[in-house]
Amino acid sequence: MGKYLIRRLLQSILVIVGVTLLSFITLHIAGDPTYLFVSERASEEEIIATRARLGFDRPIAEQYISFLVNLSRGDFGNSLKARTSAFDLVMERLPATLELTLFAMLVATVFAIPIGIISAINRGTPVDGGVMLLAMLGQSIPSFWLGLMFILFVGLQLRWLPISGHVPLLKPLFAGEFDLFLTNLPQAIRHLIMPALTVGVFSLSRNARLVRSAMLEVLSLDYIKTARAKGLVERKVIIGHAFRNALIPVVTILGLEFGFLLSGVVVVETVFSWPGVGRQVFNAINQRDIPVVQAAVVLFSFMFVLLNLIVDLLYAVLDPRVRLE
Amino acid sequence: MKLFRLLLALVAILAVSAAISAQAPMPDDNTLVIAQSVDIDGWEPSEVNSRPEANMINHVFATLYEITETGVLEPNLASGISYSEDGKEITFTMHEGLTCHDGEPLTAEDVAYTFNRAGDDANGFTGNTAGFVFDSAGFIRAEAVSELDVTIFVERFQSVNHGLLSEVFIHCKDSYEAMSLEEAAQTPIGSGPYKFVEWVPDSHTLMEKFENFLPREAGFDRLVWRVIPEASTRVAELIAGNVDVISNVVPDQADAVNMSGVAEVQAVQGTRRMYVGLNQREQYNDSEGGRAIKDTAVRVALQYAVDVPTICATLLGTECERMSSMVNPPNDNPNLEPYPYDPMKAGELLDAAGYPADDNGERFHIVFQAGSGRYLNDANVVQAISQYLTDVGVIVDLQMMDWSSEFVPALRQHNVGPLYFVGTGGGTWNAQYDMADISTPTGATNYTEWSNPEWFALRETLADPSLTAEETQDIVNAMLEVMYNDPPWLFLYFQPDFYGVSNRVDWQARRDEKVIVYKAQLAM
Repeated sequence: MGKYLIRRLLQSILVIVGVTLLSFITLHIAGDPTYLFVSERASEEEIIATRARLGFDRPIAEQYISFLVNLSRGDFGNSLKARTSAFDLVMERLPATLELTLFAMLVATVFAIPIGIISAINRGTPVDGGVMLLAMLGQSIPSFWLGLMFILFVGLQLRWLPISGHVPLLKPLFAGEFDLFLTNLPQAIRHLIMPALTVGVFSLSRNARLVRSAMLEVLSLDYIKTARAKGLVERKVIIGHAFRNALIPVVTILGLEFGFLLSGVVVVETVFSWPGVGRQVFNAINQRDIPVVQAAVVLFSFMFVLLNLIVDLLYAVLDPRVRLE
Repeated sequence: MKLFRLLLALVAILAVSAAISAQAPMPDDNTLVIAQSVDIDGWEPSEVNSRPEANMINHVFATLYEITETGVLEPNLASGISYSEDGKEITFTMHEGLTCHDGEPLTAEDVAYTFNRAGDDANGFTGNTAGFVFDSAGFIRAEAVSELDVTIFVERFQSVNHGLLSEVFIHCKDSYEAMSLEEAAQTPIGSGPYKFVEWVPDSHTLMEKFENFLPREAGFDRLVWRVIPEASTRVAELIAGNVDVISNVVPDQADAVNMSGVAEVQAVQGTRRMYVGLNQREQYNDSEGGRAIKDTAVRVALQYAVDVPTICATLLGTECERMSSMVNPPNDNPNLEPYPYDPMKAGELLDAAGYPADDNGERFHIVFQAGSGRYLNDANVVQAISQYLTDVGVIVDLQMMDWSSEFVPALRQHNVGPLYFVGTGGGTWNAQYDMADISTPTGATNYTEWSNPEWFALRETLADPSLTAEETQDIVNAMLEVMYNDPPWLFLYFQPDFYGVSNRVDWQARRDEKVIVYKAQLAM
């Protein structure tokens, strides 16, 4: 177990370094960022001076190595636009994105599991057909369009939920301001519902189909027949015997889910005016604010790698046949 | 079953929490809410780079003079202005009794500090003040000559210097000397009609009226600047009554706003001049299109090939006036008529210029480059222009580029084209402000490197402080006529701007893209 963990951690470091290299190269091959930091009427001397000040006059390899050296000290550098710590800027936005992503994950799992089970145990019935049709729709609708429809109908026509904006929830919690957390809670949930549904509908649909197919596979196995033959009530057969084994592919997906949802929040944060990391990175890419992009990339990669590691460890808990070596 | 019960409980919690307050609170009578598509990057007054940033910061920091919606320069923090004989020393006299938001008295020394701090290379500012105003005005230094008089030293006289220097946001010396650049970017201490209260990046900014702002009284007690990037969401918030003023309404959503009964769209002819650049650089001589547009007759012919009013009506959602020159009305040459759409004439002129159509109706091929997503419906506009040019036998290879990573770097190096589509900001207050785009043959914003000697000779004569306003306008008119007959641009239109305004407020949109709301009031 210990060796396995060490090996996985070393692999994770390699993955993160690889991701930073890719993003670094991508940002630099897109053109000289200096022009985005000078005014339209800047003279050639001013452009050269700005390029030197920002460090873009050095060879890319040298810039990258310098970035890695600083990264090893936990220093991502300062945002080229805001002139403050890039890492702090990203961390400031992270709670908003985490709220959205976690809530979307909640939607995508809590709803998907019963829907998938209901569909599986009613296989071939109109219930199954209807659920799968909805799941197909959920996977086909672009989140951008779905978000706008929520805004128009739920927000504007029905006036049930706020159209856009954000009320902080995790930030006061992380800061130990529990009173503020509790005060914000109702409004924060109201602001979260539409964006989280928009982010999570695709995953909800996919997970429901996954649970259904996993359940169908397990339900056809001999040990389920044995359980039924023993006279167990159907609820115990489904939940106690079938569901646990059907969970393994779902748990695998959940690890990847987080990364998928994080990538999906960029569009949704824009539609719902949600002040999260997704929008921040999008703006930073447009402005070639490389330290901010790199800080977000490293942070996201780290979270993604960590979650996948946790998922791998969960395998062993869920399925004793799996050994971590 | 536990799972189902849990699920039901969750749904119930969400439903109850949604029902707790069915509607978002609307702004009260003392609060004005404005929504823009982008946020400010930071509150350093010398780093302001974009119009949305300037809109916000303009309410926290005041300027010496203010440009009104009709293009008049009105005293603001300063009460008067005077020039030395050679026009290179400009002295502003400050109002008495001014203070910054922390209570520090605002005097000539603070103004001098503001200018010198913005121009200090050690600070590395690249915003509008250091990068545009100071370059354009030829700023050297500023000096307080008495408690209320501050003199700005510039390299040359220009009639635009007064307005240019009025774009600098003034702040107090003691407070800014005590702050690091990082602190200044987070917690501004202003001099304008509103005090900064709170900034949640990419969410909102809250400002409160500064009661001691002497030049004028602001209308609302509080301003909330919300950041809502998506145009449809901004419109939805406006119709729902949650915001009062929104910028950049998409034309096809104007009807939805106007029919809502709670808000209306104000469409104004903006001051941004949209044009197709005809790049004259030697490097394009290798292509037939690049060689062709070196010929003045070809450049004139192309003016007749594009139906600008139809582009406006069909793609921009409003009627608009075609530009006859690079200068915004009312400072333009009134004798110049916009080129009409006349493809037959375009063909005849191209024939006469030595570019007859071949059997396929083709005259020459040319590359046309444009960034996407920057201007109103730009991708469709450039496609329409390409088709109009193709219709007269100019076969266009349209290349759409990413705005920030591809187009801007190439544009800044004058390496776009030979045809390229761009818009350049202008003003209503001085023709020379608009004409500053072409200051020298290789000047930074003379992207075509057009070098008509008559234009630049006339431009030299403008640097005479003894010229009367009429004499100056005569020279401007002559310059614009030179440009009309030897066009470096294919003149298009002044970009229309669309604002959504709640019926509960009395506010009028301006032509110059500035959202200035301190004069706004509740509608009667």
